[in-house]
Amino acid sequence: MKRLIVVLTALIFSSGLIAQNKINETFAGTRVINNHSSEMLPKQSLEFIVAHKFGDIAGSAGGLQNFFGFDNLADVRIAFEYGIIDNLDIGLGRCKGVGARTQLLDGFAKYSILQQKDSGMPISLTFVSSVVLPYAKASTDSTSVTSYPKFLNRFMFTNQLLVTKKFGERISLQVNAGYNHRNFVDFTDKNGLFFAGAAGRFRFTKTLGILFEYNHVFGRPAAIVAQDPLSFGFEILTGGHTFALHFSNSRGLNENIFIPGTTSNWLDGQFRFGFSINRRFKL
Amino acid sequence: MLKKICQIALLLIPILALFAFNWKSNGTLSTYSNSRLFEDKLADVSVSYALDMMNEERPIHYIMNVSDDSARMGEELVKFGKLKDGSTSRISKYFVCTDCHNLQLETDDPADESPERVLEFSKKNNVPFLPASTFYGMFNKEHWYNGDYAKKYGDLVKPTRDTLFNAIQLCATQCSQGREMEDWEIRSVMHYYKSIELKVSDLKFTSREYGEFTAYMSSDNKKAVNLLKSKYNQINDAHFGTSEIPKIEGYEPIAENGEFIYKQGCLHCHAVGRNITNFDLDDTRLTHKFLLAKKNKYNSFSVSHITRYGTYAISGRKQYMPMYSFENMSDEQMLDLMFYIEKKATE
Repeated sequence: MKRLIVVLTALIFSSGLIAQNKINETFAGTRVINNHSSEMLPKQSLEFIVAHKFGDIAGSAGGLQNFFGFDNLADVRIAFEYGIIDNLDIGLGRCKGVGARTQLLDGFAKYSILQQKDSGMPISLTFVSSVVLPYAKASTDSTSVTSYPKFLNRFMFTNQLLVTKKFGERISLQVNAGYNHRNFVDFTDKNGLFFAGAAGRFRFTKTLGILFEYNHVFGRPAAIVAQDPLSFGFEILTGGHTFALHFSNSRGLNENIFIPGTTSNWLDGQFRFGFSINRRFKL
Repeated sequence: MLKKICQIALLLIPILALFAFNWKSNGTLSTYSNSRLFEDKLADVSVSYALDMMNEERPIHYIMNVSDDSARMGEELVKFGKLKDGSTSRISKYFVCTDCHNLQLETDDPADESPERVLEFSKKNNVPFLPASTFYGMFNKEHWYNGDYAKKYGDLVKPTRDTLFNAIQLCATQCSQGREMEDWEIRSVMHYYKSIELKVSDLKFTSREYGEFTAYMSSDNKKAVNLLKSKYNQINDAHFGTSEIPKIEGYEPIAENGEFIYKQGCLHCHAVGRNITNFDLDDTRLTHKFLLAKKNKYNSFSVSHITRYGTYAISGRKQYMPMYSFENMSDEQMLDLMFYIEKKATE
């Protein structure tokens, strides 16, 4: 840990000594697929995001009877993100939610601590803190995770650090590590979970690329049936719009949901198609 | 005695003449020096002042003296789109004037603003190669939004063609898709324009023409005015092209020119991090390969298409790209640009 602090401090101070150019466009948007990327919005820019996930493509709930998931809706999220300054973004969104936790309001703040440069700073380092508030009426079943005896029981938090590096023109990789806390969980579950993950992008052309994203949750109780979220995507940039088409075993669209709460298994055909459309505006 | 005096005088005359010639050459001889001093002062004066001296009719936007405060505010509006003290809102959330207009001379001869001359001068002086006219000397022009601008803006150009005030307003509301500027804001910009108007020394006179000009000033104002006005361009003209890739028989594109146009033209707005456009470009092979692949398409990703047509403001997306008219980029330069892109994409 001390060594990490020393390295980070050295990186921060060394970055100011040499004239460098920032490495931009590590990812096309502020999200890789579902999770945050280190990409920041320019100051006074607003990004509108619509994201959608359908039902299982295969498995018992998929196949032709549900038109490979298109007849079902897993989750939908509408969100706005805003660049307060070049290093600080905030966002507010609304998700349908997944499983018992539905009708979710989410918010986040993202701060770019370090920015990769062509010399002197080899990585970007970003901190994201997000919160989710389910506003659905509390369940009368006191054993339910949605019974919410107190208002504060509703909240879920995720704090994570994103370390990103762009290798040349085509390849970007991101490693993330963080802590998720749900204030109210099933008695067999744990409130706090550490997780780590990786994500990447490979650009075929200036406007087309493929994406992957994976997160692993540490120390999850054995009684909980859960899977690590794994997603693959395809992105299309049109100048102003970014489209991401993806396949994922997670049903949720917010990190507070899909990191601790993914239960679908790729190997059982429980993966789904999803997409997101990002549109950026200047205010 | 008289004979001796005459002999000495004859001997001294050539010597005095020699001294007089030398003194004259370094400008220290009084009479000639005065004459030179007068000419030097004339070179320093602004073109509008020189015209005023010759009793030329003053344009509507004439300003006698620059107000420092107004010019400062005008400069802030031009460079930042608002006053730096935050007392005004931005004129346009998309552009500031300097995204499309330079503030310095773009040519070594203001009478010749051809794209070839501009490129040559810009390369030498590292001046951005932009689609709109420089503000340096804008104050001295007499007609704006001429030629094909009517195709783009229709009747809106009519009141701008002889009135700089209206031209500025049209640029604010249409070109930059911003708000209407207030009168005091336009006046401030005018004062800034006045501060960067053409000087007589910016104009390219031969020594003979300059002599004629100074002589006309005291003898024939009309001829002096005509001569002065022949030394700079008074009209902002525009002729629009098509998306077709030009074909010029025998022309060998020049990569160096293309590189300059790409870096000082395209990247002036599209460079990553500039945050002016929604489509960022850089000088990487990936970007050039993309542009090369799209070169024959009839859409905004095609270099010849977007450069000649620009984009139009459409509902929900008001920001658009201005086009390069033939007055701002020649067909040869278009080929230079495309050659550079192809070279970078395939190297």
